[in-house]
Amino acid sequence: CHAGGVLASVPAKTVAKAVAYADTEVSGKVLSDKNEPLVGVNVILKGTSIGTTTDPDGRFQLMVPDGGTLTFSFIGYLSQEISVGNRSEINVQLMPDTKILSEVVVTAYATQKKKDITGSVSVVDVKNITKQPNGLVSGLLQGQASGVTVISSGQPGAEPQVRIRGINTFGNNTPLYVVDGVPTQNSTNLNPNDIASIQVLKDAGAASIYGSRASNGVIIITTKKGTGKVSVQYDAYYGVQVPKSGNVWDLLSPTEEAKLRWIANKNSNLPINDPIYGSGPEPVIPDYIYPLGKMEGDSAVDPSKYYINPNYKGDDDYNKFYRIIRANKAGTDWYHEVFKPAVNTSHNLSVSGGTDKGNYMISLNYLNQQGTMLSTYLKRYNLRANTLFNVSKRIRIGENLTYTITSNPQQTELSDLNIVQTASQMAPIFPVRDIMGNYAGIFGTGYNGNNPVGTLERLKDNRTLGNRLFGNMFAEVDVLKDLTFRTNFGGEMYSGTSRSFVYPTYENNENTKYNAFTQGSSNGYAWTWTNTLTYKKLIGSQHDITVVLGNEAYKSYFENLGGTTRDYYTFDRNYTTLSTGSGIQSNYSGRSFESLNSQFGRLDYAFKGKYLLSGTLRRDGSSKFVRYQYGWFPSVSAGWRLSEEGFMQGIKWLADLKVRGSWGVMGNQLNVNANNGYYTFIMDKAASYYDIGRTNNSNQPGFQVGQIGNPDAKWERNINANIGIDATFLSGMIDVSIDYFRKDIKDLLYNPAVVGTQGPGTVPFVNIAGTTNRGIDLSANFHKNLAPDLRLDLGATFTSYKNKVTRVTDNTNYFFSTGRALNGINYVRNEVGHPIGSFYGYQITGFWNTTQELDAANEQARQVTGNAAAVYQTDQALGRFRFKDANGDGIITADDRTFLGNPNPDFNYGLNVGLTYKRFDISAFFYGVQGADIWNQLRYSTDFYASFVQAKSKRALYDSWTPENKNATLPIQETKMTAATNGSPTSYYVEDGSYLRLKNIQLGYNLPASLLSKINVSNLRIYVQAANVFTMTKYIGLDPEIGGSATSFGVDKGLYPNDRQFLGGIQVSF
Amino acid sequence: CKEEFLDYTPQGALGEDLLATKEGVNSLLIGAYAALDGQGNYGLNINGGTAWAVGPDNAIYGSGYGGESHAMPLSTSVEPINEFLNERWKASYAGVSRCNAVLRVAAKTKELSDADLRNIIGQARFLRGHYYFELKRMYNMVPWIDETTTDFKQPNDKDIWPKIEDDFKYAVENVTATQPEAGRINKTAAQAYLGKVYLYQKKYSEAKASFDLVINTGITSRGKKVDLNPEFEDNHRPEKELDSPEALFSIDMAANVGNGTIATANQGSMLNFPINSPFGCCGNFLPSIDLVNSFRTNPANGLPYLDDYNKHEVKADIGILSSQPFTPDAGTLDPRLDWTAGRRGIPFKDWGLMPGNTWIRNSVATGPYVNLKNIYWNATKALYYDGTAWAPGSAINYHVITLADVLLLAAEAEAQLGNLDAAQAYVNRIRTRAANPKGFVYKYRDDTKPELGFSATPAANYLIKLYPDGNFKAGGKDYALKAVYFERKIELAMQGHRFFDLVRWGLANSFMNAYYAYEVTKVTEVTGMKFIPDKNEYYPIPQTQIDLSTVNGAPTLKQNPGYQ
Repeated sequence: CHAGGVLASVPAKTVAKAVAYADTEVSGKVLSDKNEPLVGVNVILKGTSIGTTTDPDGRFQLMVPDGGTLTFSFIGYLSQEISVGNRSEINVQLMPDTKILSEVVVTAYATQKKKDITGSVSVVDVKNITKQPNGLVSGLLQGQASGVTVISSGQPGAEPQVRIRGINTFGNNTPLYVVDGVPTQNSTNLNPNDIASIQVLKDAGAASIYGSRASNGVIIITTKKGTGKVSVQYDAYYGVQVPKSGNVWDLLSPTEEAKLRWIANKNSNLPINDPIYGSGPEPVIPDYIYPLGKMEGDSAVDPSKYYINPNYKGDDDYNKFYRIIRANKAGTDWYHEVFKPAVNTSHNLSVSGGTDKGNYMISLNYLNQQGTMLSTYLKRYNLRANTLFNVSKRIRIGENLTYTITSNPQQTELSDLNIVQTASQMAPIFPVRDIMGNYAGIFGTGYNGNNPVGTLERLKDNRTLGNRLFGNMFAEVDVLKDLTFRTNFGGEMYSGTSRSFVYPTYENNENTKYNAFTQGSSNGYAWTWTNTLTYKKLIGSQHDITVVLGNEAYKSYFENLGGTTRDYYTFDRNYTTLSTGSGIQSNYSGRSFESLNSQFGRLDYAFKGKYLLSGTLRRDGSSKFVRYQYGWFPSVSAGWRLSEEGFMQGIKWLADLKVRGSWGVMGNQLNVNANNGYYTFIMDKAASYYDIGRTNNSNQPGFQVGQIGNPDAKWERNINANIGIDATFLSGMIDVSIDYFRKDIKDLLYNPAVVGTQGPGTVPFVNIAGTTNRGIDLSANFHKNLAPDLRLDLGATFTSYKNKVTRVTDNTNYFFSTGRALNGINYVRNEVGHPIGSFYGYQITGFWNTTQELDAANEQARQVTGNAAAVYQTDQALGRFRFKDANGDGIITADDRTFLGNPNPDFNYGLNVGLTYKRFDISAFFYGVQGADIWNQLRYSTDFYASFVQAKSKRALYDSWTPENKNATLPIQETKMTAATNGSPTSYYVEDGSYLRLKNIQLGYNLPASLLSKINVSNLRIYVQAANVFTMTKYIGLDPEIGGSATSFGVDKGLYPNDRQFLGGIQVSF
Repeated sequence: CKEEFLDYTPQGALGEDLLATKEGVNSLLIGAYAALDGQGNYGLNINGGTAWAVGPDNAIYGSGYGGESHAMPLSTSVEPINEFLNERWKASYAGVSRCNAVLRVAAKTKELSDADLRNIIGQARFLRGHYYFELKRMYNMVPWIDETTTDFKQPNDKDIWPKIEDDFKYAVENVTATQPEAGRINKTAAQAYLGKVYLYQKKYSEAKASFDLVINTGITSRGKKVDLNPEFEDNHRPEKELDSPEALFSIDMAANVGNGTIATANQGSMLNFPINSPFGCCGNFLPSIDLVNSFRTNPANGLPYLDDYNKHEVKADIGILSSQPFTPDAGTLDPRLDWTAGRRGIPFKDWGLMPGNTWIRNSVATGPYVNLKNIYWNATKALYYDGTAWAPGSAINYHVITLADVLLLAAEAEAQLGNLDAAQAYVNRIRTRAANPKGFVYKYRDDTKPELGFSATPAANYLIKLYPDGNFKAGGKDYALKAVYFERKIELAMQGHRFFDLVRWGLANSFMNAYYAYEVTKVTEVTGMKFIPDKNEYYPIPQTQIDLSTVNGAPTLKQNPGYQ
């Protein structure tokens, strides 16, 4: 809609002339009821934005005009107002507020006092989260907010997987971030230093008003505003990330590996005539791995024969290569060739201040996190400007704007043949480089694998650059005393470019023999325009009413463009552009857009401050739907503050007690693509072009089905119920919040595979599936002064959910997650009655230990099938796995596959511990996950000799079945893949992924003010810190924290681990 | 106002109605042809040289390499849950669905003349017939989906041979005799395919009638009278494809077309190059010992050993390292061998002498031979090799039906009808071409410089002769059929025909198990393999498809016997 006019009606206003005040300096000290200095107390000149905060000694100083009044406020204490008069020193003692619940919290389209909230809202302690050396806000939330599950990768800039209260859909589960009132799904560009508050809206009562976009939960982020006199703050840290040490995959040395080769060949009755290790009774490690098995002095390894041109341009040159590679008898530690210690640093400078005419905050952040893996890093510049102008007593206009520049090349994780997987598979006998310093590889050796260092070093000149302008501008008008109109226009404009060069390779079995340059770009925008009318009125003294009415329009647009050119005269990165290559050129472009249109309303009613009732209703329309564009999303919630009742007044230790409940519906359409409603045809050069003219070198264009359309798709509904209790005990020393929730996703938009007979095409999303999540969130805080100078703060969170698929389609009750197959057999199954992402396959019950066992089983199979040729279990043989007859029919078939594990945790938990002693502070953060299973796919290649000839584990050599060692964990080592060893998905791959990690520990020291005042510094804190200090887990892989997609996570195919970090930092304010 | 704000039109895509033009329908038809090569799905729709030719006794798929193999030895542990099987099923129905789109939209367009319309519909129905033919012989009972089907959960409870026949009959009657492009189907191609469909159903007279038309009066799409190429190897040279009188219906491959993939450059064969060779990947699809032995000829008469060829083994370098000495077999051999299987010491096209063990991952596991028919030539690789992907692509076409194929099918029909002389004449026509010394493999002028070309000395002791006059008649029908079948085995080896031939001949059980019994004495990869009769004649219906076909709790598709 073009509902403009509102902004235009705001009269252009000239800046009011500054009024001259006669300022005097006031200073003083703020003490607690126990006469301890209070740090960080807000001291503000009433009615203005002028103010400051107290230093570690509880001291403040401020310029104030005559006749002003100072407000002293501090969380957990009662505010005080003191008229300055003509005093120059004011000392104040603050009394604890047993009702800390008057804290104001930003919620959906409103602010509310904590005590009045009826929905389920986690308020995050921003101080705790920003202590961690992580540039991504979403990653910082791990363990800090109950109800939120976060899985982070160690890769710089890799967006963590954030789930609020379990898994809602089979697609995008990312929550909605509302930053200064602007909804977005992208949180990676936010500077954590800019954040003033974070609230997580978890239930329908709190989030439903975001209707269409609330289904995955809503995280409300407010950025910092300036107050008081000009304040300059500088924060910096510098640190080193250190890769895990040791033989991380427990791999065999070259000698041990050759020994395993001998054993496997012997077990497979193969004669041994090995081109590398000889044909003797014991393998011999040669001096040279290539030419095969040669010893020093052999004419074949004469360096004068060597020839490799790493920048070769054609087959003819390539076919002349003469490779000479010395064997690394000690063994190459590929993990530590790929992962090296790396620097992590951040500098943040901000200037802020405020007057009664407005306030401002500008900040600049530079973040440079080098990855421990070669050629990965995150470099980010953030510039933010937040301002607010009090145009008149009734009109406020402001903006919050941030501009981000990011350079963040990333490596794929958790997929086949990613770098980490490659490093785990590359045999240690290969050196990194050959005798002339070119990359050494498996070419011609019969081994399998790629040199990961070669792969990564060839990427080092690739570049990515992202730009994003994100922010909003708003105006607020107090139309009447109780009625405020607010209009907010916000969004983002972004662009990204990348360029990369494909170098020819020569060291592998399968080599890329061409060179090519690729450049790509994308850009787009998204805007949201929100208009609200808020009516707030206390009627009588008992009826407190807030009404919000609003509308919101959203539009986004995206396009991309790129190309590839081959065959360059030189590979010099200063030369290669799309235009300077001489070979085949190809290009692409695409675009998409979508829009949403919404109306909403909200009513909050409180009677006597103890009976709370709230209702919201939203109507949303989406351009992604054709026939049913609009959906309605209601919610109701209620609260009862029992502690306000007369019968509770006598309970001294109970400061506050509230029970609350909510019910509501949230919507979702994120997963639906824009063309979903339409049946379309497209041209595709690879799939629908054909050389009908028999030219051998050109194709004619043809059509194929693009999208299979579903015009009947409509809003997915997330029906949500919540019961919660908030309680505060012992004058605020302890507060606890517990919630039980249940979420039922109905009409879940899912694109189930269609029958093959329908033919290919993008399968449409239909409202067909369903899931439920239920669970308990809990958070508790404890604050106590243990001694006059010693303060203890404890904060704990507990998050649990039980996820279950309730429906897949009308006709089938399961689907397999794609990209998770072993020998063509899927192992991640989503089935009705089971959690999303469950592991599926054959349960191993032991080994076939005797021929009698084999014969007996076959006899049984013959009886049950009536077939004289029947075999009990495919490929059964001595020393191989015996599978469980799960369905009890007397024979092992595909029907005996069963559920083997669940990657969803039983619960996760976080614990913040803070101790303040005089000028010292120490804080620690523990995070734990309990009961999440992991499918360790790396075992496939390292533990079975028959899974490609490559690096093998100690387990394979020392813990495999032999007639003498029947109490093994691995089957007999053989050369051939079989269905009874590594050819089937089995319980062998499933491990317990529970862990407890000391995520962070920090020791800080505040320099005394007496020292600082001489150099005009108001506050200076230095600290040392360690992150990911230790992890207690039984998981044998690199890191038990394993993400993935909505329907498949916890599958370890090689990940970028969260490394230990050691940092030092400084925080200065002037 | 609200509606306008939420307005949307698909970007970069068209609705079906906009394709009801002459150009639109033609482009849909090109799309239907484009499904022949597997639409980028690793060439899953091609039978030659891919995992789908694993059943037969002429090749070992996989490479003795372990790991996630695309191979599914039909005889042992192929399971309905294997996703490769599911992909193959989907690839064929993708072709069917594209043909149906042509038929649906063509009926709506007013821009086409009746003749043009019939020519287009004829091509679409031919292609549909082809996709169903592939499905039929692989899975036997499959659901029929045509342009009128709206419920795609159709049962597989009917024999679809009559429907396949109808499609080809329509094509025979309506497709033009010549076409503007060489790659288009013409009337002769349709007649040939119809004959093959008849033969699969044992309708020998109808098959013979169809083949007679092709052999006697057939012309190619470019108007050339059908004939055998002068040399056996011509069928695998891209430069000979355009004017080939032999290729009746081929899947046309194009290299270096600039789409960033090798999807149209025989991607299906990408893994089927010798390992550690100039080709780079991957050592799969290897000729068996049994197959190579089949090329032994009797020095007395130049004929094959139809029954006991494995008693006349070709000397093999199993387990012998390339650094250790080896002299190739000196006995008499059919010259087609060295265009079919690469073996140590023999010129490997113009790439040099095949070096033996270093080009094989593990010859003890798989045997010492490598596939040769999909190998491009060094001299013309600039044109026909495509290095876009991590494994090679090439412009070498896959032939679905050639005249050689038709002659051998016709020989079979004649033999079944008792016309043993006619059958022998056809077989001898094939052998005559094979015996043409111009088509032999010759030694290089200089083994270290293959680029200098070939000498006048044959690379091996080649000896091939025709069956003497009256030989088939004298041997009787069973003997004649045996000879026809054997000729088919060696002429069309490694091209994806063998397994389906064995099944339709009713010989799969005996031949496959005999093959396993012999081969296992030579190499380890076939250990434990067994052909189970009344089961392994057909692949299982993919379990995924059975499950997806569920309606009201019961699957619409029924599993094949033995796999339930």
